[in-house]
Amino acid sequence: MTTSLPIGPFAPELVVLAGALVIFALDAAGVRRWRIEAFGGIAAAATALALVLVTADLGFGPLAALRTIGAGTVDGPVGPTALYAFTSLGLIFQAIFLLSALLVALASLSRRSDEPGASIFFGLLLTATLGMLLTAAAADLIFLLLAIEVTGISTYLLVGYTRRDPRGLEAAMKFYIVGALSTALSFFGASLLFGAFGSTNFVVLGQGTGPAPYPYLALAGYALLIAGIGFKLTLVPFHMWAVDVYDGAPTDVSAFLAGGSKKIGLFGFFLVFAGPVALTAGRSVACAANGCTPFDFGPTIALTLGVVAVVTMTVGNVLALLQREMKRMLAYSSISQAGYMLIGIAIGTAPAIAGATLQVFGHVFMKAGAFLVVAAVAGLGVGPLIDDWAGLGRRRPVLAVAFALMLLSLAGIPLTIGFVSKFVLFSSAVQAQGWFVVLAIAGLLNSALSVFYYARVLKVVFLDAGPAGGAPAGNTLPVGGLGWGRAAAIGLAAVAIVAFGVDPQPVLGPIQAAATHFLSVGV
Amino acid sequence: MLPVLSLLLATLAAGTGVTFVAGRWARWAALGTSIAFLAEVAYLLANFPTTPPFAFTERDPWISLGWLTINYTVGIDGLALVLVLLTAILQLATVVYTWAETKEPGAWFGLVLLTCLGCVGVFVALDILLFFLFWEAVLVPMFFLIGFWGGPRRRYAALKFFVYTHVASIVMLVGLLAIAFYSGAPSFDYVDVVGSAAGLGASMQVALFVALLFGFGVKFPIVPFHTWLPDAHVEAPTGGSVLLAGLLLKLGGYGLIRWAVVVLPTGFAHATPLVYVIAFLSIVWGSVLSLAQRDLKRLVAYSSINHMGIVLLAIAVGSQLGLVAAVLLMFAHGIVSGLLFMVAGSVHHATGSRDIASIGGLTPRTPVLATMTMVGSLASLGLPALISFPAEFAALLATWERVQYWVLIPLVILVVTAGFYIWMMQRILFGPPRGLPDRTEDVPWWEGAGMGLLVALTVLFGILPALLVNLIVNSPVALPPFP
Repeated sequence: MTTSLPIGPFAPELVVLAGALVIFALDAAGVRRWRIEAFGGIAAAATALALVLVTADLGFGPLAALRTIGAGTVDGPVGPTALYAFTSLGLIFQAIFLLSALLVALASLSRRSDEPGASIFFGLLLTATLGMLLTAAAADLIFLLLAIEVTGISTYLLVGYTRRDPRGLEAAMKFYIVGALSTALSFFGASLLFGAFGSTNFVVLGQGTGPAPYPYLALAGYALLIAGIGFKLTLVPFHMWAVDVYDGAPTDVSAFLAGGSKKIGLFGFFLVFAGPVALTAGRSVACAANGCTPFDFGPTIALTLGVVAVVTMTVGNVLALLQREMKRMLAYSSISQAGYMLIGIAIGTAPAIAGATLQVFGHVFMKAGAFLVVAAVAGLGVGPLIDDWAGLGRRRPVLAVAFALMLLSLAGIPLTIGFVSKFVLFSSAVQAQGWFVVLAIAGLLNSALSVFYYARVLKVVFLDAGPAGGAPAGNTLPVGGLGWGRAAAIGLAAVAIVAFGVDPQPVLGPIQAAATHFLSVGV
Repeated sequence: MLPVLSLLLATLAAGTGVTFVAGRWARWAALGTSIAFLAEVAYLLANFPTTPPFAFTERDPWISLGWLTINYTVGIDGLALVLVLLTAILQLATVVYTWAETKEPGAWFGLVLLTCLGCVGVFVALDILLFFLFWEAVLVPMFFLIGFWGGPRRRYAALKFFVYTHVASIVMLVGLLAIAFYSGAPSFDYVDVVGSAAGLGASMQVALFVALLFGFGVKFPIVPFHTWLPDAHVEAPTGGSVLLAGLLLKLGGYGLIRWAVVVLPTGFAHATPLVYVIAFLSIVWGSVLSLAQRDLKRLVAYSSINHMGIVLLAIAVGSQLGLVAAVLLMFAHGIVSGLLFMVAGSVHHATGSRDIASIGGLTPRTPVLATMTMVGSLASLGLPALISFPAEFAALLATWERVQYWVLIPLVILVVTAGFYIWMMQRILFGPPRGLPDRTEDVPWWEGAGMGLLVALTVLFGILPALLVNLIVNSPVALPPFP
């Protein structure tokens, strides 16, 4: 938190913004050749550089010693008037967002170079990433909602950028209408909270002490925010749009939406609800001092979030069981994963926040990775149905094994990152005791249920006989029709799933410390 | 010190990996792995110290978050060593018995090895997460063994097996996590958990014990959660049945002793009446159901419920003698039920049927198979000088010491079951040949070798049970002094 606007802390955001501007400028200047390579290269380089800067801010990597934010404002105090703040949990989310953008940018380098819309795709990818980075730096509700909006508008356009595909356009239209509605709900909720507490700063909201005795006004505001931000996070019953959008969008965009951009909703939930759910200490003390009514609906909100979490994971899993198309199955599975993540904020302890954050981290590799494989397989001439994937295990064993790792991780099978994050999350529920144990049992039963639809896909891929054949005519990309970029992105995701599944401590340690700090300041 | 247990796990893991990709050499890879495994177990036996509580312990940090401390901790005591030995024996016997498997041999032998790897991991893991990891790792290969190589209703049976045991293991996991967190254990290490669980209140201990009793009991299986077992056994291929009855059921007994009885002694003491009731129910119901069977395999499957009921009874007694008897009985049942499932498989191969009522007079046609059938059946009914006798005798003696005349229930049931086995032998082995194909071949050499190994051990440990008992009693952590 600073009063003047320093440039240094914003370096990652500025790098991403500059990348977007350069792409649009080159496009306007009439670059006609090597468009995919140039624009994709810029996008990948910008996200990679921003990622290095963010991890340096966190204290990792060779730049760590050179770069400290604003002389150590990371994990410093955040004031009641701050608009933005760079805390370690926010930086970890920034790193996660940048990873998802980097994976998608790398994979998209392997598009066919005659595909139209390269500048729009990579430019919007970067502006969407910019909005996500700002989300993770928000210290004020209005700032948060504006940042979400930056991402939102960019992603509406991304979904429909091909323009000629009616399914993509339909998806973009749905996405836009639902997104606009959710924005309206969010801002209405924010105005109610402002009425109740006299501020939209998260530190003030976290204390839950307003100037006037309007607790129900605040409760209504929080309810609207559950709906408004819940749309972004695809919580049931605000999930209807997600499957059509993920299904209709170009698959690389789906990877970005499911693996990256929807997680701004989770960080938004962290920011908005850490206060009422977790920060109860000192509330009545502060009120005794200035004669106000403390906001004590924390347990109610926690229970609501817990119910929404269980409903979300159950509905997502049950509907995923019924799907015959690969993309729709992955989309429903993505909804159920949002339910697991929401457990973290319903419990509201540092271990639970850490577990949910690790789940988001793993989700980049397993869900974005899975969508990238779907795009690769579509490029090999395989149809959209799960049954169309029959025999892939024999024809493309390496690709099939990578995909299997992603699905096993989504199912939470041991020695994958997905298992570790679920284990930490459910352990934190048992550790919190009380009714939270029910969340652990519900989550575990849902994991058991989800095994069936993932296993069914594995059965089709590895056991069922399929047609012989390689890449279709017209696909001349290297690495058997995948292209280097996509092969690298998929390989990176698969390796990360196993590496962090076997040894999660290097990421889990910092995440746990960041979550503890997050709960100590509420931002 | 040499990390023997990690080497053991690594041997099995590497062997599994090689077997999966070895194609037509898979069975040789599996055989080599089994022999190496047995050699390592022999090393463990030869160097097993008598110092409590655990030998060959290894401990490496894994996850450390303050509220959650997980180590890679392995170690072995007599209780675990006996069951690891059983795993090594049954793995070798299964690999040899199914030597001629032709349907995807690489996957078959690989999954057999993977099942055994999971079991060994369960027996040596001394950390909640590690234990759970191996516990779940057993489930997946068994699901495929049943679902891919099984009989006509294999998909249904595999699914039922998976759902039952998976739901149970979820309850088990939540129970173990609750023990660790509610008692404030400094880590997930077994020794830490045991130490801090003593501080839990009586009602909490009872609640957690009952949760674990359910979680482990489904694997046992205890009545009324046993219905997955007959389906799984009847549909499973012979090798799958051997591992299922010989090893997987033992996981339940091992887990109950290691993670429930020892960790929650107060809860166990208060819940003992419930355990008795379930044990008697399982003994009686398993036996009654086995009397009603005409299918040889179903007969063996239901008698497994009966035998595991006696194991549960011996655990419920809770004395030193009772626990030794329980472990001995698990070992005995592992060998004998494995042998009997092989017999059922070979009878099916030789005659094309498993229907006790419709086949008869095997002895003159297939003398080797008939001998194996005799030894297995006599061992199962508890004939002295065969392996089950000392175990069952000790179990009944321990029961008498604690609850006196209640021992009549298992005793009467034993006599009835014995009569039934004798009737079964009389039907299928003796008398004029009935229901046999024109040319009934005796068992091929690999089936004979697999069964022969188990027959030899049935006799050896029947005469010298002290070999095992001395191992078991040298494990003070497994067998706490009881009031």
